[in-house]
Amino acid sequence: MKRDVIERVLWSLSIDRFSKVKFKENPNKFLMRFALEDADIEKILSFDVKALQEMGVNPMLTMGYWVEMSPDKSMRTYNQKLGSDGVHSASIKG
Amino acid sequence: MANIVSGFLVPHDPIMFVAPDAPEKNIADKAWGAYETCAARLADLDVDTVIIIGNDHYMLFGTTCLPQYCIATGDVDGPLDQLPGLKRQSIPNNEELATFIAAHGHANGFDWAVARSFTTDHSFSIPFQKIVQRASELKGKEIQAIPVYLASAVDPYLSMERSQQLGLAISRAVNAFEGNNKVAVIGSGGISHWVGTKESGKVNEVFDRKVIEYCLSLNEAAIMSLSDEQILAEGGNGAMELRNFVCTMASVQADTSELIEYQPVPEWVTGLGFIELKKN
Repeated sequence: MKRDVIERVLWSLSIDRFSKVKFKENPNKFLMRFALEDADIEKILSFDVKALQEMGVNPMLTMGYWVEMSPDKSMRTYNQKLGSDGVHSASIKG
Repeated sequence: MANIVSGFLVPHDPIMFVAPDAPEKNIADKAWGAYETCAARLADLDVDTVIIIGNDHYMLFGTTCLPQYCIATGDVDGPLDQLPGLKRQSIPNNEELATFIAAHGHANGFDWAVARSFTTDHSFSIPFQKIVQRASELKGKEIQAIPVYLASAVDPYLSMERSQQLGLAISRAVNAFEGNNKVAVIGSGGISHWVGTKESGKVNEVFDRKVIEYCLSLNEAAIMSLSDEQILAEGGNGAMELRNFVCTMASVQADTSELIEYQPVPEWVTGLGFIELKKN
C-alpha cells in the first residue's frame, strides 16, 4: 500500500539517524531504496505535507519529518503548507 | 493482595516545556500547579507503584510493528523525545508486577505485547517526572512506575471497548498479585488537541467540558459512546487518547472523582484537564 511505504520513509527520516544522514547526502539515492512512485518521491522531496496527509499519512509523521529534515523547520511554514488559516496558531512564535 | 487505590487523568503536553511562557502567567501557573497538586496527593496516598497508561506518537513503534497494547516488563528509560526540563533518565520499573500483569493477561485472554527493554516518550515521562518522581521527592521514598502503551495515536486504534476490558484486566491482575503493593494508575492524554494537522492550536472547550463531565460522573460508557469520527471532528486526532482515560477509569473503578484543574490553552494547543479518581 502506497501510504505504508511513505510512512516507513517518513518514520525513518523522523527517527533514524543513519537515514537522516543518507537523505541529507543524497535524497534521491536514499529514496531509491523504497518502492516509491515518482510522484510520491516528488511529494517527499518537496515536503508537500498537505498532499502526504491527503494520502492518509499520519500527521505525526509529516510533522516529525518536517521538523527533522525540512530546510525551513518552522511550524508556521508547516501550517501554511497544510493550508492553515492561521486562526489556531497562537503557540507559534517562529 | 495488591490493590489499586487511586487514579489520575492528566495531560502530557510537550508544548508546555517548549514554550512555557506562551500563555498568560496565571494560566501557566494553574497548569503547572495542577501537576504539583497531583504529586502531593499521590505522595499522601503512600503508593509504591504507579501504572501510567499512555500512547506512542509514532516515534517508539515504527511501521514494522504497531502493538495494540504493550507493557514494559524490564529495563525502562526515557523520554526518547527529550524536552527542556524533561531529560532522559533511567526509570524504576516494578518489573515483578509488570511481568505478572502480562502473564495474567496471557492466561486470561489478553495478548499483551511486552517490552523487555523500553524507552518511553513524553506521554509517559511527563506524568512520571512531574507527578510520580515529584511525589517520590515529597515522600522521601522511591515510587516505581510501569509503562503501559495503548494504540491511541496511530491506527489501527485500540477500540474503546478493548480499552475498557484491558483496564479491568489490569485491575484483576493487580488484585491477583501476591504482594502488598498499593498502586495508582495515571491516564495520560488530551483532552482536545490537533497534532500535526492544519487545525493545530485549536481547542474545543465545549468538547473538553463534556468529556470532563463524563469523567467526573465516572461514566466510561459515555466516553465509549463517542465514535472515532466524532472524536476526530470535535476533539482532534489527539483526543483519540481518550482511550487512555477509559482504560484508566476501568482499572481504578473509582467511587468519586474531583476536577483538580481545567485550562483550555490554545498557546499550548491543548485542552488541559486534571482529574483525580478516588476510592473509598
